[in-house]
Amino acid sequence: MTDKVTINRLATGVPGLDEVLGGGLPEFSFNLIAGSPGCGKTTLAHQMMFALATPERPALYLTVLGEPPLKMLRYQQQFDFFDSESINHSIHFINLADDTLTGDLDQVLRRIVAEVQTHAPALVFVDSFRSMMLASSPQGNPHSDLQQFIQQLGILMTSWQATTFLIGEYFTETDENPVFTVADGLIWLRQSVQRNSMVRKMEVMKMRGQATLPGLHTFRISATGIKVFAPADVTVPTGAKAAAGPNNSRLLMGIPRLDEMLGGGLPRGYSMLVAGPSGSGKSILAAAFLAEGARCGETGVIAAFEQHPNRSRNRVLNDLIESGRVGLVDTRAPDLSIDETVLLLMKEIQRLKASRVVIDSLSGFELALAPTFRVDFRESLSCMVTALAATGVSVLMTSELEDRYIDLRFSPYGTAFLTDAIIVQRYIEVDSRLLRVMAVVKVRSSTHSDELRLFHIDGDGIHIGEMLPDQEGLLGGRPTRKRIADLPAPTIIPQDAKSPKSFST
Amino acid sequence: MESPENRGITAALAHRVGKGANGGQIADVVVSAWKDIKITVGPIIGQRGVAALYQRSLYLTGPAFPWLAAICDSARTDLDLAGLKTVLAQQESANAAAGGAALLQTYYELLTSLVGPSLTERLFRSVWTNSLGDPPAQDASP
Repeated sequence: MTDKVTINRLATGVPGLDEVLGGGLPEFSFNLIAGSPGCGKTTLAHQMMFALATPERPALYLTVLGEPPLKMLRYQQQFDFFDSESINHSIHFINLADDTLTGDLDQVLRRIVAEVQTHAPALVFVDSFRSMMLASSPQGNPHSDLQQFIQQLGILMTSWQATTFLIGEYFTETDENPVFTVADGLIWLRQSVQRNSMVRKMEVMKMRGQATLPGLHTFRISATGIKVFAPADVTVPTGAKAAAGPNNSRLLMGIPRLDEMLGGGLPRGYSMLVAGPSGSGKSILAAAFLAEGARCGETGVIAAFEQHPNRSRNRVLNDLIESGRVGLVDTRAPDLSIDETVLLLMKEIQRLKASRVVIDSLSGFELALAPTFRVDFRESLSCMVTALAATGVSVLMTSELEDRYIDLRFSPYGTAFLTDAIIVQRYIEVDSRLLRVMAVVKVRSSTHSDELRLFHIDGDGIHIGEMLPDQEGLLGGRPTRKRIADLPAPTIIPQDAKSPKSFST
Repeated sequence: MESPENRGITAALAHRVGKGANGGQIADVVVSAWKDIKITVGPIIGQRGVAALYQRSLYLTGPAFPWLAAICDSARTDLDLAGLKTVLAQQESANAAAGGAALLQTYYELLTSLVGPSLTERLFRSVWTNSLGDPPAQDASP
């Protein structure tokens, strides 16, 4: 048993925020919510207040100068969390404008004390704190300078066992400001604008007594309020190992012969990259992967990043989505972040207990992201793959690959090392025809075929054909027929190659 | 034409003052309702907010009741309830009741247009019970 004080942590009621805060909001803490105008400070405060306030643990919302309370109430009630019935019941709004206008901070403090005594709140919000500071004139009581006022307020609130939030407009965190020192917690909200995209980000710069998730976390404000997207690796719920079958089992790809090339299918829990030029059949392969899952009684999830979602999606996939065996992640939201996409994927995976996930395609995904996230695309992608792998699902990602015949590339993002398996598709020219070839480049810790095989696509999907042993330079795109003298003794390639030529990577 | 809400406030006021009340008695009831509004709504939207809406209500009811327009002074930042009481007391009882009710009603509608019916109803609940007796009829049926 320990005799150290236990700090209770309050669930803020803001999705994702507790994770970012490192487990919730410390009780009786003295916090500052800061940021430029319009970044969501008041909304964040209201959402937490409506979630936390109860008749036994009421909240006091002190409005100072700044946004007139009428306007604040008018706009805040647009959110789902706003409940008029709580007002004057578990939530008390008090306007301090008249006291603040006197410029006498002592007077303001006396008024706050009086209200705190009257309502005995467990939560106190002061909005906006900055306007209070600006209103405090030098003619006020010289003993009550700002530093002292904040100190007093901090002591007072803590001794009244009230978790407190000061809400203020600050533009730079380097402002000389005593409140930054006194505060236990400092939540900074930002808006990052790049071209026509605006992304909201939150940073917990300080939270005494607990380890917060460092860095900027994106959030969105919708009718339901604020939703924070905690990084992918913490959003994986423990024990979320998806409906995975026995270990070492393999998933069939739904394309005859491809499983053989993979050495018996895709090992369960692996991530696979299918790279190829436009129109080579990556999406069809991905659809076959999901369809095969459905045939085996498994469910899947697809995040499709296409220009025209309905037009380009193939029939098989549409049927699967309509029948509910494949969940479709809506990726049309503007200014998407990877963390948000992962969250959407995770929710859908959990809902359907899915074991197969398709991301089609990484190129479309990158385009769908807000420009601000594109710089870190590779890094974030790595987080996403790790997070998905942690749930035990098998992931198939497609990647558009510009056909460059001078070098052998598998992905434009250097994502090849992230994935456990790689299939590459290429176009080649033979006898004035554009033919397709496919090869398995990598299957981690497994034997697989090294064959470069022709394939064609018809109404039934992908059909893998033969190798072209009499041609060389296939990867250069313009193979040439080998000279007779170089050809090996004629061999017959088995139609149903049970044991493909294989090697271990 | 009177709205149902208006009938509600008018009826509540009539019920509260009783038959045969004179202008002075009506003034007492109306002013006490305004004091309640000051107490319940004031802390939330600020006394200046209450006063601004009050002045706007006087302005809006002015055309129908010129004696209310006469005490309208949009620059004031507090509630001039003494002024209201004086003009109400000078009216015939029917006119005082109608004007007093119209002013309250306008204020109620103004607040509703700004913060919505549900919150306005919540804020006025104690005003109804304290100053105007039971909640007006329109609260029972949507």
